[in-house]
Amino acid sequence: MENRRDEKYYKQIGFMCGLEIHQRLATDRKLFCGCNANLEEQQHGPTITRRLRAVAGELGEIDRSAKFEELKERNFKYLISDGHACLVDIDEEPPHLMNRDALEIALKLAASMSMKVPAELEPMRKEVVDGSNPSAFQRSTLTGFNGRITVNGNKIEIPSMFLEEESAGIISNSESYAEYDTSRIGIPLIEIDTFPYIKTPEEAKDVALHIGTLLRLTGFVQRGIGSIRQDVNVSISGGSRIEIKGLQELSDMDKFIENEVVRQQKLLEISKLLNSRNAGVDFEKTDLTDVFSSTESKMISASITASGSVIGFKLKHFKGVIGMEVNPGRRLGTEISDYAKMAGVKGIIHSDEDMSKYKISASELDAIRDKLGMDGEDAFIIVTGKKEIASKAIGLAMERAKLAISTIPPETRAVDNRELFTTRFMRPLPGGSRMYPETDTRPILITSSMLKNAESGAISVSKERAKLVEELSSEDLADRMMLSPKLQLYRELAASKNADRQFIANVILQKFREIQRDGINTDAIPNAAVKEIFALFFDGKITKQAVEQLIRLAAKKAGKPISEIVESNGLSRKTGKALESLIESELKGHSLEDKEHTSMFIKSFMSKYRLNVDGAELNDLVSKLSAKHSKK
Amino acid sequence: MYAKKITEFFDANGISFGDIIKVEADGISEEGELMPSTEANAENIIILKLKNGYNAGIDFDKAKITRIGKGIPAHEFPKAASMVKEGMPKISLIYTGGTIGSKLDYKTGGVHMLLKPEELLYEVPELSGVADIHVEPLSSISSEDMSYIEWQKIAERVYEAKKSGFRGAVITIGTDTMHYASAALSFMLAGIEMPVVLTGAQRSSDRGSSDAFMNLYCSAVLAAKSDIGEVGICMHKSSSDSECGFIRGTKVRKMHTSRRDAFRPINNNYIASVSSDGTIKYGESEYVRAGKNSANKLLSGFESKVALVKAYPNSDPGIIDYYVGKGYKGIIIEGTGLGHTPVSTEHEGYSWLPNIKRAVDKGVIVGMTSQCLYGRVNPSVYRNLRLLSSAGVIYCEDMTPETAYVKLGWLLGNYKREEASKMLAENLVGEISGRSLYEDFLV
Repeated sequence: MENRRDEKYYKQIGFMCGLEIHQRLATDRKLFCGCNANLEEQQHGPTITRRLRAVAGELGEIDRSAKFEELKERNFKYLISDGHACLVDIDEEPPHLMNRDALEIALKLAASMSMKVPAELEPMRKEVVDGSNPSAFQRSTLTGFNGRITVNGNKIEIPSMFLEEESAGIISNSESYAEYDTSRIGIPLIEIDTFPYIKTPEEAKDVALHIGTLLRLTGFVQRGIGSIRQDVNVSISGGSRIEIKGLQELSDMDKFIENEVVRQQKLLEISKLLNSRNAGVDFEKTDLTDVFSSTESKMISASITASGSVIGFKLKHFKGVIGMEVNPGRRLGTEISDYAKMAGVKGIIHSDEDMSKYKISASELDAIRDKLGMDGEDAFIIVTGKKEIASKAIGLAMERAKLAISTIPPETRAVDNRELFTTRFMRPLPGGSRMYPETDTRPILITSSMLKNAESGAISVSKERAKLVEELSSEDLADRMMLSPKLQLYRELAASKNADRQFIANVILQKFREIQRDGINTDAIPNAAVKEIFALFFDGKITKQAVEQLIRLAAKKAGKPISEIVESNGLSRKTGKALESLIESELKGHSLEDKEHTSMFIKSFMSKYRLNVDGAELNDLVSKLSAKHSKK
Repeated sequence: MYAKKITEFFDANGISFGDIIKVEADGISEEGELMPSTEANAENIIILKLKNGYNAGIDFDKAKITRIGKGIPAHEFPKAASMVKEGMPKISLIYTGGTIGSKLDYKTGGVHMLLKPEELLYEVPELSGVADIHVEPLSSISSEDMSYIEWQKIAERVYEAKKSGFRGAVITIGTDTMHYASAALSFMLAGIEMPVVLTGAQRSSDRGSSDAFMNLYCSAVLAAKSDIGEVGICMHKSSSDSECGFIRGTKVRKMHTSRRDAFRPINNNYIASVSSDGTIKYGESEYVRAGKNSANKLLSGFESKVALVKAYPNSDPGIIDYYVGKGYKGIIIEGTGLGHTPVSTEHEGYSWLPNIKRAVDKGVIVGMTSQCLYGRVNPSVYRNLRLLSSAGVIYCEDMTPETAYVKLGWLLGNYKREEASKMLAENLVGEISGRSLYEDFLV
């Protein structure tokens, strides 16, 4: 099946794929308030509780996915992290003016992707009622459109880019409420979208990698877990648009996309099968609690004891289909179960499962079939829980089961299993009606000087790479450097006088990793200290060998001045006259009369002064000395 | 509002708001819906709503614009179940404008009022379980633009509602001057013996996080179910959507520009709280019970020639003469501390004493309150206070400056000068507390 993966195959199945890449910017302040945008989450402080509801958007329609979240009738708790959030973040104060640093970065990125910038930027409110923003919307501004990038020689169109607010980080999620930390809210975030014309899952990965690199090359983006997130939109002919949210590991992106393709193919097969069988869903909810009055099923009896009910419905001619696999470890039943769970139940029980798993007896099974009026080819789904919740869950399960006959519902899906690369249903795919103008802040008129400034700061991934290849004389080193979080540091070091760029790259890519492996935390060294160490080397004050040693010591003694570490560890370079007299004093008892003796001397000298002496200079001086000696 | 040349172009080309237009400029070619602009947009900019829902500002001078066709029609509110429910308590819902009773209409840029019961129910469906609500549109103005004339109209409506058998009234109103209105209604409707609940919103109702929904719901619960017979304000009690508080109309003040829980009791406490599930809990404070006070009369007169003046370091006491010269009949001073103005200053022209004396001699009623807001003014503690008091200044006990101002306007609008002067520092409707309670500070 290797040919499944080629471009021709994906074209044939009508593969459509587009990306949405979200990247946090590294600005000092948040996008619409004065809060620090670079703090770790603290997770302590006062808490407030809010309820959000879906309201009609600018064009009047209530967004369907917003309505769905509201139906979940949850309360939201917001932790007002000490010192990390203000009234703007909890929707108690209008936004301040847009952060100009963030805007400048956004415009540079727009220029880097050859985008057009609107003559006036219009901040919008994008409705979000999953609770991740206390205002129930995210402020988002179109900052570029009609752009393109070139990846592997192919032109990839970038129709839009947005500058928006980061959402709140979720702390916990339960049936009755979700709790969020507001410290993250409002950090500037860039969203970059592609058209859905990506040709294969691999190309999707390459495009994501390219855009990620471009973002990092600006030097103004946050690094670390969660600071970049990729959402992927996937569909095939006859299928539907599915958005997979929150892929953080680029390396697995293609596998998630491949699985989504398979899932849609399987669901299409299921739909065909159900149609051929003339299958249907009986929209009658039947209370089956009586059936389980003396059940041995612990799960069901525990639920009934807690004044719960068992409710079920019949699926005409569905026998064997609910148990069909759509993805590794996931069946149609799992898809239906995802919907039912939204009402607050733990899951569903369906007739394609082994009933002994739940300790449901044969007579109970007969009673269910009897009460639901089932024939041989029919199936059932039951749930248990508090009557209201169970009933709502069954309603959602019915809706999803019915859709299996006709279509694939457009959905937003989340990662379910990172090892199996599978996803689960989160909510229906949002429609386009969830935008309306942010009237609390002013539009921004784009001036020609703003555009000029952006043009001059524009970045090209291919040019940057070519430059690095030239500097480092190695494609491998250049590629590693492009992806390294220390790229910015390299740039600054490489710009200094007498810089040995390959040596710099080797130290910050290779040596740092080795030192880290020895259990020394290199993150503890501030960039300023690394720069000081290299400056000492470039000025000839320390040797190449001492650089690594000094980095080790600086990591262990973080905060201590570098000059002090050099002094107390005797790491200064011996050079010129000082080195000469040191050689003279060490020469006692050694002979330089032939090559062999000379090299023995150098070896013994270096073993003692390895960190203080430059090998080339030593060789030079020794050969001069030996010439002097032989003259004598 | 677009500039004239843009409007003319639209007219000449048959383009109106909501139409789909095509814009070609500088390497772009985009189709979208034409949106109205606001005073915040730059002069040459037209607003295009793109297919992805975002608005983009386009430079009119650089764009070639063609009309493609009609856009999506405006939203129609779906028909909701009738709000007239047999056996439910009948309440009147009086709309006056402000953030709470309106929705932005992006098609026209104007404010659309939620006047029809079905629109209201669509937004706040939980209201249907509370009361038989009769919606009465009265005006559509922001509270900063409201005057005593609107207060009088509201009072008349509430009075009529009471007479025609309504159990309670909810008044939706802008928040900025809500506490002035609540004080005015407290006096005008003295003895109404029915829950009269003013409410509003600090966050506009077009956002899912708006406080409007819960404020309206809790206010309706109070009007339909509580035994309170007074005028008051019902708004969020904290930043959370868990509870609203009901505060006496004369003892309340907006204490924050933007927070949901901006309204706080001043020198008083909450009369009742309503939780988001509709449970009413009464506080410790005394309140007038609802009843059938048939002797109740509407006293809605108001004298507009009353001023509220603030005394502060370096302030010019000539302001008193200014008002006297303009024929004002009453002045409430917002003094410092216990009720001071500069009186014994060593610098000439800064003492308020001679100006106040002149005003009192001309028959102007001068009342003193404190810019501390919390606590009671006192005419005796310091010599300077005694001087003012001897000059005829009436010390207004623990009334807020706003309540004292409204009260004096109402007194002069309905009573003779001598009576008004006497009544200013007497408690009429709970605006003056006999005791200052320890727990009533910073509630």
